[in-house]
Amino acid sequence: MDVNGRNFKKFLERQQVFESQYDSESMKKQHAKGKLTARERIAILFDENTFEEVDAYVSSAKSEGDFGKIKGSFGDGVIIGHGQVHGRLVFAYAQDFNIMGGSLGSIHAAKIMKLQDMALKMGAPIIGLIDSGGARIQEGVASLAGYAGIFYRNVQASGVIPQISVILGPAAGGAVYSPSITDYVFMTNKTSYMFVTGPNVVKEVLNEDVTFDDLGGAEVHAKKSGVAQMIFEDEENTLMGVRRLISYLPSNNLENCPETEPDEDETRDVEEKLRDIVPDDANKPYDVKDVINLIVDKRSFYEISERFAQNLVVGFGRLDGKVIGIIANQPKVLAGTLDIDSSTKGARFIRFCDSFNIPLLTLEDVPGFLPGIDQEHSGIIRHGAKLLYAYADATVPRITVILRKSYGGAYCVMNSKNLGGDFNFAWPTAEIAVMGPEGAVAILYRKELAASDDPAKLKKELAVKYRDEIANPYVADEKGFIDEVIDPAITRKKLKSAFLALENKYITNPTRKHGNIPL
Amino acid sequence: MKIKSILIANRGEIAIRIMRTARRMGIRTYAIKTAKEPNAWYLDEADDIIDFSECLSDTPEFLDIERIIHAVRENNIDAVHPGYGFLAENPIFARRCEEENINFIGPSSEVIYNMGNKTVAKDIARKNKVPLLRGSKGTLLNADYARRFANAIGYPVILKAAAGGGGRGMRVAENEEEVERMYNLASNESAKAFNDPAMFIEKYVAQPRHIEFQILADKHGNIVHLGERECSIQRKHQKLIEESPSPALDPELRETMGNAAVDIAKGVGYFSAGTVEFLLDADRKFYFMEMNTRIQVEHPVTEMVTGIDLIEQMIKVAQGEKLPFAQKDIRLKGHAIEFRINAEDVQSGFSPSLGTIEKISWPESKNVRVDTGVRDGSVITPYFDSMIAKLIVYGEDREKALQESSNAIRKFWIKGTKTTLSFCRAVLQNRNFRKGNFNTSFLSSELKIHYHSEPEEEMLAAFFAVFDFARDLEEAEGKKLNVEKGKNITPWLLNKRLR
Amino acid sequence: MAEKNKGAKNTRKSRMIALSTTEKEYVFTNPLDRKVKYMGETIQIKLYEDPNGFSYVLWKNKKYPLEIIEKNQNKYTVMLNGVWHSFTIETPFSLKRKKFLESQAGTSSSVTIDAPMPGKIVEVLVEEGADVKAGEPILILEAMKMQNEISSHVDGVIRKIAIRQNDSVMKDDLLIEIEKH
Repeated sequence: MDVNGRNFKKFLERQQVFESQYDSESMKKQHAKGKLTARERIAILFDENTFEEVDAYVSSAKSEGDFGKIKGSFGDGVIIGHGQVHGRLVFAYAQDFNIMGGSLGSIHAAKIMKLQDMALKMGAPIIGLIDSGGARIQEGVASLAGYAGIFYRNVQASGVIPQISVILGPAAGGAVYSPSITDYVFMTNKTSYMFVTGPNVVKEVLNEDVTFDDLGGAEVHAKKSGVAQMIFEDEENTLMGVRRLISYLPSNNLENCPETEPDEDETRDVEEKLRDIVPDDANKPYDVKDVINLIVDKRSFYEISERFAQNLVVGFGRLDGKVIGIIANQPKVLAGTLDIDSSTKGARFIRFCDSFNIPLLTLEDVPGFLPGIDQEHSGIIRHGAKLLYAYADATVPRITVILRKSYGGAYCVMNSKNLGGDFNFAWPTAEIAVMGPEGAVAILYRKELAASDDPAKLKKELAVKYRDEIANPYVADEKGFIDEVIDPAITRKKLKSAFLALENKYITNPTRKHGNIPL
Repeated sequence: MKIKSILIANRGEIAIRIMRTARRMGIRTYAIKTAKEPNAWYLDEADDIIDFSECLSDTPEFLDIERIIHAVRENNIDAVHPGYGFLAENPIFARRCEEENINFIGPSSEVIYNMGNKTVAKDIARKNKVPLLRGSKGTLLNADYARRFANAIGYPVILKAAAGGGGRGMRVAENEEEVERMYNLASNESAKAFNDPAMFIEKYVAQPRHIEFQILADKHGNIVHLGERECSIQRKHQKLIEESPSPALDPELRETMGNAAVDIAKGVGYFSAGTVEFLLDADRKFYFMEMNTRIQVEHPVTEMVTGIDLIEQMIKVAQGEKLPFAQKDIRLKGHAIEFRINAEDVQSGFSPSLGTIEKISWPESKNVRVDTGVRDGSVITPYFDSMIAKLIVYGEDREKALQESSNAIRKFWIKGTKTTLSFCRAVLQNRNFRKGNFNTSFLSSELKIHYHSEPEEEMLAAFFAVFDFARDLEEAEGKKLNVEKGKNITPWLLNKRLR
Repeated sequence: MAEKNKGAKNTRKSRMIALSTTEKEYVFTNPLDRKVKYMGETIQIKLYEDPNGFSYVLWKNKKYPLEIIEKNQNKYTVMLNGVWHSFTIETPFSLKRKKFLESQAGTSSSVTIDAPMPGKIVEVLVEEGADVKAGEPILILEAMKMQNEISSHVDGVIRKIAIRQNDSVMKDDLLIEIEKH
């Protein structure tokens, strides 16, 4: 072919038109809002020089009538393609806010659906970088149908390949449903927001004044609604966070998670600092993350939903390079009780790990469920049941270590032996009982306490006795509900060998279309 | 009357300090163990431990008079040293000791009771012709009384708790509008801290210097003073830095004030160690404030410049011995400065910084003395005070002491909590402090920024933050992911998953 | 397309800015080389890190003990020689973004009073809707056995009281929101 001939010339001209969509003017527009362009985001997300764009030149739909004027473009406002993240195949789409406000038209949607089909075919994770004005009004029902098609594929892929949504701009109306179906939602503080109905409509219908950020900003979703699991201060850190998350996940539900080099330092297997963390006084708080960080490989703990339902800590960690999912009660928030938010947070995390064959470690220190009218009326019963169901339904290896309190229903829920826990360990500070010592003796010795001259003193003495005789891990140990009471210092060593033994675990639940998890 | 065993009803640095002297004197020491700090250092320094870990009542361990008395009797211990704080100035405790024939190392319960009441103490001063500030003779009936009195004395006035101390239960009212609110605040605080809401009122001297004299007396009527301590570097009436001698006193003023202090002690029939506190105004007029009938936190500076072990003297006095020296034998030599290092965040308004002291280290030198109850791994709890250590530095003169202090503080390293070391540094950098030119308003008016940092330090901290971030990034990015292992699933599993 | 942003990730590692809470920007290129340019000189920094003991920086023959007190994503609080400094680690772009966002927020009309230390609310001295002046006490917080008066530092109206008498609060908990006049 003659590089100066008509054929190649036409090829180059077309390329130029295409590149002009991504000129410095459009870059400035995004930067002026504190946002990066779609191309810049892709460059940060993927390993250098590995991204290959697909369907770059697909054209927008044609304008139709007065209400359907569309500014034609190549690509229709979304970049789709594949590349490598840490050397592994990953598919991604990035909406381009500069082109028709990143709005979803029929072609835009078709591209995303094509990408979803590809990801599912190849069994590789798919990441959506969302920055869109929403459905394209000009294309009417075709836009909505586009969304529906995307949602359908999100659901088909759910539990088959990891799906991550990164909200880097607006996501409003129907657009929020795709992210909420995906496994993880990342948001960037102050420049991204998600809501079903925007402030304008809220003002019109309810006459309430609210800003974009207050209604559905990143902080709202990270702290209050729990819709966003990860929040970062700027886009670069957000995308680096996505890269980090991917390094823990398998590419599909048939593979195991990628491994890193085992921690060379074997002296960490015996860690005396673990003995010092949990106080003997059952009412003193501590930070369970200190325990987690001493058990997992150094700096390998990646917390999910850090700001939401802080009374339960969930996240990924590594033991000798192998990924595990960690669920731990946090005694320094709400005394570690379980409530609605923490139950749903834990349940979703367990379901994800179960879908992708990630073994689970549960660190337990829970005095029970949070009491109160608010919790009861809001349905703590069915939300708590979600956590229970998720545990019981999980067929991945499940290990529990009871650090301190484990009372009543919460004992059952937190992966107890009869709920299917594979290995259940306890520390010497563990207290396993139907209820706490004070509560128990108040009931069992009601008559004696009423008749005593110093009921407070008697109650204290009885509580101490109860703690010694009943609320300790040895009773459970002797009945076989605890496999072993261990020295906290050797927890890491114990867990490493336990997970190793469970590597090949395979069990199935009865065949059915799917269970009926309380929702 | 020889004391062969002492129970130290205290903890932390003062417990260790008392035990060291007792051990030197061949006396057996007992310490009290609490559930709040079962691994505290002071427990290791005692010969025997009495375990108060069982939580029998709501009374805090070191305030539980009967339990302590019982422990002393049960173990046949000769004497009790209360240290400072806790029961040190509790007349009931002293009385119970007297009743049970336990040697209370301190003054008599009657003296403690009298001097413990600020209005009674002032009466005694008045009787002994010691200068006093205008104020209420007794306690005030209510806020209204306070207001009327204040109007009579003239503003500003200070409302003080009669049973108070350590800076608590006091508020200044600048004008009539403030009196009622300040009265209530101070009275409530006093009721909570000292179980006594009674208040008295005094003319408030703006920007005085706080000068106190160390008194030592035996049971035979011999009383001496061991010079003064300058304690004007205070924050909200809590002393932070003390020194002896005071740069504000000349030998003449020292003699006058010292004699006044001795007069008060004599007037009340004092024996053991005690401290008479004065205010010195800008005109070098002094006024009696109160007498503390206990050993004080800052006693080491007096020990450094007089060469006298105050705890040893207290024990000897308790044994009935006569003081081995007279006033003419007391000479102040050199200069000593004490820096209290607390677990507080200076940059956040001295808010408490609780936690574990992971590591602590200071320079050992003949001019440096460190009194501390904290070692590597000690926990600063919310149950007790936030003191980490007392750094006491000696020099042949004030200038040398200041230099030595800068050095010692630079080499004092603490890891695990925020501390007031940066505050000490800021004070040492201050020109007026170095000149000896300061009073109790130093922190609020003279020291603009309460912590000191060299210009390159923020840059170095910034560098380290960036370095650590870059290093983490490099590690995360550089981590090799072994995907192959993830694909090597045993046939057993793969078979099942495929189904 | 892949050619375009080739150096994006490398730039991030090579040029980093520590933004202090005092708004000072410290720029470091290739920090992992440990060479720092300060006041006209380029100096090699030596770092000694001991997880079980003291870590320190050796700078011009002086030792500065250091400790990371807090670390969250790109927010750091580092204690050096007894004084702590807080920073956020930025890239040139994220710094521009930060400044842009701040100019957007403008002068926010409401101010929050957070708990300066953990303690118990003894008394709330104002009501929602009440006018307050700068310096006026609005609540009493008991901590470490002392009663602390917390005052408003602006003139305004009490917009929201987030706590009640006898509530226990932790450091930085929101106490009161005041709408500036």
